[in-house]
Amino acid sequence: MIIGLAHYLTVAAILFTIGVFGIFVNRKNVIIILMCVELILLAVNINFVAFSTHMVETGANEPLAGQIFALFILTVAAAEAAVGLAILVVYFRNRGNIAVEDIDLMKG
Amino acid sequence: MPNLYLVIPEILLAVSASLLLGFGVSKTKNRAPIVRLIAIAVLVLYSVLSFLLGSQDGEAFKGALIIDGYARYVKFFIGMAAAAGLLLAGDYLEREKLDKYEFSVLTLYAVLGMSIMVSANNLLALYIGVEMQALALYVMAAFNRDSLRASEAGLKYFVLGALSSGLLLYGISLIYGFTGTLNFEAVATSIQSNGLSAGVVAGMVFLLCGLGFKISAAPFHMWTPDVYEGSPTPVTGFFAGAPKFAAIALIARLVMGPFGDITDQWQQVIIVLAVMSMFIGAIGALRQTNIKRLMAYSSIANMGYALVPLAAGTVSGLRGMLIFMTIYLITVIGVFACILQMRIRDGMVERISDLSGISKTNRGMAIAMTAFMLSLMGIPPLLGFFGKLFAFYPAVQSGLTWLVVLALIASVIGAFYYLRVIKTMWFDESEHEFINPVRALSWTSAISALLLIGFVMIPFVARTGQDWISIAATSLF
Amino acid sequence: MLYQAIVFLPLLGALIAGLGGRKIGEKPSMAITTGLLMVSAILSWVAFSKVALGGHTEEIELFRFMDVGGFKANWALKIDTLTAVMLVVVNTVSALVHLYSWGYMDEDPHKPRFFAYLSLFTFAMLMLVTANNFIQMFFGWEGVGLASYLLIGFWYKKPSANAAAIKAFVTNRVGDVGLALGVMTIFLVFGSVNFDTVFSAVHDNQDRILSFLGMEFNAIELIAFLLFVGAMGKSAQFILHVWLPDAMEGPTPVSALIHAATMVTAGVFLVCRAYPIYEAAPVTSGFITVLGAFTAFFAATVGLVQNDIKRVIAYSTCSQLGYMFFAAGIGAYNAAMFHLFTHAFFKALLFLGAGSVIHALHHEQDMRKMGGIWKVVPVTYIVMIIGTLAITGVGIPGTGNIGFAGFASKDLIIESAYDAAHGGSAAGAFAFWAGIVAALMTSFYSWRLIFMTFHGKHRGEKKVLDHAHESPLTMLIPLGVLAFGALFAGMFFYKKFAYGVNDFWGHALPMQHAQIAADNLYAAAGTTMSDEAAGHHSYPAWVLWAPFIVSALGFVIAWFTYMYKNGVEKRVNAEGGPLYNFLLNKWYIDELYDATIVRATRWLGDVFWKVGDIGIIDRFGPNGVAAAAMSIGKRLSKIQSGYLYHYAFIMLIGVAAIIALVMRTVGG
Repeated sequence: MIIGLAHYLTVAAILFTIGVFGIFVNRKNVIIILMCVELILLAVNINFVAFSTHMVETGANEPLAGQIFALFILTVAAAEAAVGLAILVVYFRNRGNIAVEDIDLMKG
Repeated sequence: MPNLYLVIPEILLAVSASLLLGFGVSKTKNRAPIVRLIAIAVLVLYSVLSFLLGSQDGEAFKGALIIDGYARYVKFFIGMAAAAGLLLAGDYLEREKLDKYEFSVLTLYAVLGMSIMVSANNLLALYIGVEMQALALYVMAAFNRDSLRASEAGLKYFVLGALSSGLLLYGISLIYGFTGTLNFEAVATSIQSNGLSAGVVAGMVFLLCGLGFKISAAPFHMWTPDVYEGSPTPVTGFFAGAPKFAAIALIARLVMGPFGDITDQWQQVIIVLAVMSMFIGAIGALRQTNIKRLMAYSSIANMGYALVPLAAGTVSGLRGMLIFMTIYLITVIGVFACILQMRIRDGMVERISDLSGISKTNRGMAIAMTAFMLSLMGIPPLLGFFGKLFAFYPAVQSGLTWLVVLALIASVIGAFYYLRVIKTMWFDESEHEFINPVRALSWTSAISALLLIGFVMIPFVARTGQDWISIAATSLF
Repeated sequence: MLYQAIVFLPLLGALIAGLGGRKIGEKPSMAITTGLLMVSAILSWVAFSKVALGGHTEEIELFRFMDVGGFKANWALKIDTLTAVMLVVVNTVSALVHLYSWGYMDEDPHKPRFFAYLSLFTFAMLMLVTANNFIQMFFGWEGVGLASYLLIGFWYKKPSANAAAIKAFVTNRVGDVGLALGVMTIFLVFGSVNFDTVFSAVHDNQDRILSFLGMEFNAIELIAFLLFVGAMGKSAQFILHVWLPDAMEGPTPVSALIHAATMVTAGVFLVCRAYPIYEAAPVTSGFITVLGAFTAFFAATVGLVQNDIKRVIAYSTCSQLGYMFFAAGIGAYNAAMFHLFTHAFFKALLFLGAGSVIHALHHEQDMRKMGGIWKVVPVTYIVMIIGTLAITGVGIPGTGNIGFAGFASKDLIIESAYDAAHGGSAAGAFAFWAGIVAALMTSFYSWRLIFMTFHGKHRGEKKVLDHAHESPLTMLIPLGVLAFGALFAGMFFYKKFAYGVNDFWGHALPMQHAQIAADNLYAAAGTTMSDEAAGHHSYPAWVLWAPFIVSALGFVIAWFTYMYKNGVEKRVNAEGGPLYNFLLNKWYIDELYDATIVRATRWLGDVFWKVGDIGIIDRFGPNGVAAAAMSIGKRLSKIQSGYLYHYAFIMLIGVAAIIALVMRTVGG
């Protein structure tokens, strides 16, 4: 069996779905949500790289752009994780725990 | 290097934000006030520059950014709105002991992000712009570190924002994969030559949904009320204005540009978002007691109205959207200038009932607030009426009469809670008196109110403004 | 600047007195409004000499009013002879009434408000008459309606005054609907509301057919009719006349200004202004002739038996307006305008005279409680006699102009009607005979008024008579001026109005009709105005004498009824009889309205309100939607649970749903 573009895309889609499900199925810990977000971003990265490597270099096609995009995503994801964790720390100091079910001060 | 010349406003923002970041650090002195003043000056300069400098259109960074009449127009108002937001924030931050210089720096970075969004001409620039403003805004939402509400708001905003970024990225990756390019024009040509493909359409939907989150369009609006309520009030005011304008401008550029050939598809997305936003915004607000939450639902509804002309997909529709958003921006600044005046001796209050009877105690603010509410309702001769008129008329012209009828029904439902605010101010017994606001607040609210009334009276200004908007709108076609 | 000053000085006065009346005090606001109006009146006469006598017509654009699509309307002043005549009438009477009110309203605590309303009315009336398009005219039309409402209900603490004000307003609304529809139809047919544009296009649209209410109409006839409905309301023609007598609840100066001299003549003015339309609408013109003649007759019969001094004059006004309308209907627009002009003088005189009597008798208006006061108020008595002589049309028959003001104009109208009848018009014949009969009755009730008020024994309380006094000078001066007008207006202006001597009318009114009348008259008088006139027939002597004879007859009957042995009157009053009651109750028109329209409307209103509004619309409309919105709102706020995973879930459901929706169209 030759592993083609479709296989990569399927893996990425599965990872994406797992990440998405993780966000709303998990009711315990905010950290898990952060992990799920990373998972989503990684799924996207797989997409980008797979598209990039399978792209024919004709016309307006830009095979390299996908890989560059993946690098940008990694960078931004790092910044995002930093900001997210910082906010989480602030929240923890105020609230005393980070259970997802307890984040319901504001509603309605 | 002619390209760099075009992005001088952005460079100004980036450089001055970074310099201010360094300048602000001082162990002995609180440099926040001076940083804020400089930041306001920078923002005003940015607005003016972005409007004046780019009198010629062009692309920078190998087509990653595009500077055209459209971008200029939107940037001008974003910069002005951000400057007004900082101006309003000063007093609040000082009194709440939040006066840190980072606030101004974050504002500058957020505006930089929005500026890139507005000018984005490829998907990478789009992503960078979106993330740049989002990361700054997450922090601003949680700016009051010692408040549980603020940190909860920041956390919710962050988690859902990250999810929306994920959707957006997934969409981008699909579009990239199926068209082979990131550049907007190249995407458009590819769609044109290769025809409709499921991958592109799915990517487009993901992308629009991710951006829908930024304009808090239903069903991606869920964060809005909570974040608006929890964030410090000046931050809420900032959220309600500039980022919305930037994101909807980006959506408009996307649907007119790269997706210009699959109108039927994106139109459905926009219409669904519009209808849901209008009704959820209007109905959700009915039971609110907190004025900031009320404004959150109001902004959801207003984004729905702003999407209506966009759905028309014509030049006049785009014009209508720009007019509507400009007027909305002015109104929102004024409303938050009023909300920031809701301070009694013990601190800020933000229940609607706290406004009772202020027509007797704070006559000026009551009049201004009434003007804003009437304008949001769309009562002539206030500007809000013309905003809705120009927004809905193109939709009717494009045969979307049923959509406009729905919009009008939603407006009628929405009128209820605006009227309730007015009624509370003028007819209820007064509970307490607000302390005298600082000049920045009262003047801003007064000026906004005057703009809402006055623009109509000065045909010259209205004419010039309309010319600008027409130029801006046509530059996308 | 002359014309701008004429029109806007009253507005200035109204603004000063209305907004600043409390600050600057009573006397200054009265002085300012009256002074400005005097200036305006004097300037009006200057304008009159310039335009009507000198022939300088003018059209001044002030500024743009509306500009929507093809719909353009300006604020402009169109000054031609027709306007100049109205300017003179309106401003002169208004200035005199302002002055008169100094005395009459002396004891009233709200003088600035009263004067502000008077000035406001004057301004609106001036807007109406100077309009160069139908929209500005409509503005003025509604403006005078508003001022009339405010002034009728000026004594707002009196329930009857409020009721009368509302009645006037509502009745006028009926007419205004007609006018508004007429203006809309004009725009529909001609694509413009500008007088000149419309009138010059009438000829080309003569045969246009419009379908309206499911029926087909000639466009011009329809427009003419709709405009006339407006005129009927404002000018109190039969069916829509009911408000005018009730409007007498307002202060007497108001009655003189608005409900005698100016506002009620707006309808006549409208018809004259729009004469090109009426020239092209023979059916409607016939209708106007008949209705006007009938109103002249009907109002006169009711006037015969009224006991309230102001109501008698009100019905007389109604009747005289009928004369003007049938004159306009048969095409003698100049005769209508002439009568409007003279009528303004003598009717204002009669009203102000009556006001003087009322003032003297401490607001007693019932003639049955008057009598024998001519010695107490000699000046008032004399001017009232002059007014009566003018309205009954006393003069030397056959000369045309040697007589009181009413003689010149009324006889001109009757002769014009005779011309029309002679030309084969049945409507004209009806109008002629109705005019003659009405003249008889006019004479009767006018003299009856004089006799009952001034002669005989005083029938009221003695105390009142003892306190009776002649009015102050501020009231007597206007009376004197108006009496002068009532005496000489006819003689001075007869030839100009009647024959357009020296091109008096310019292009404002057509003169063909007047030419015939003039020739006939001169032929009858044995002189010739022009050589061609020799070929025409002349009026038979009886036509010229008939008005005079019936007028004299009326006097004699009144004398016998009320003066001679003082007998007939009491018996009539005591025994009544069906005819007497029929007339006393104004032909039971009010009762008829009550039984039909009012009751039906109330029933319909009840049905709509209880069944339609509360039962259906409220339940399923506002209340239902409100309740539904509230309950949805409740559910929404439950969904807004505050939990992150709910929010994320909804977002993803949303994405999934939208993808499913959009993919449906891709078909992949």
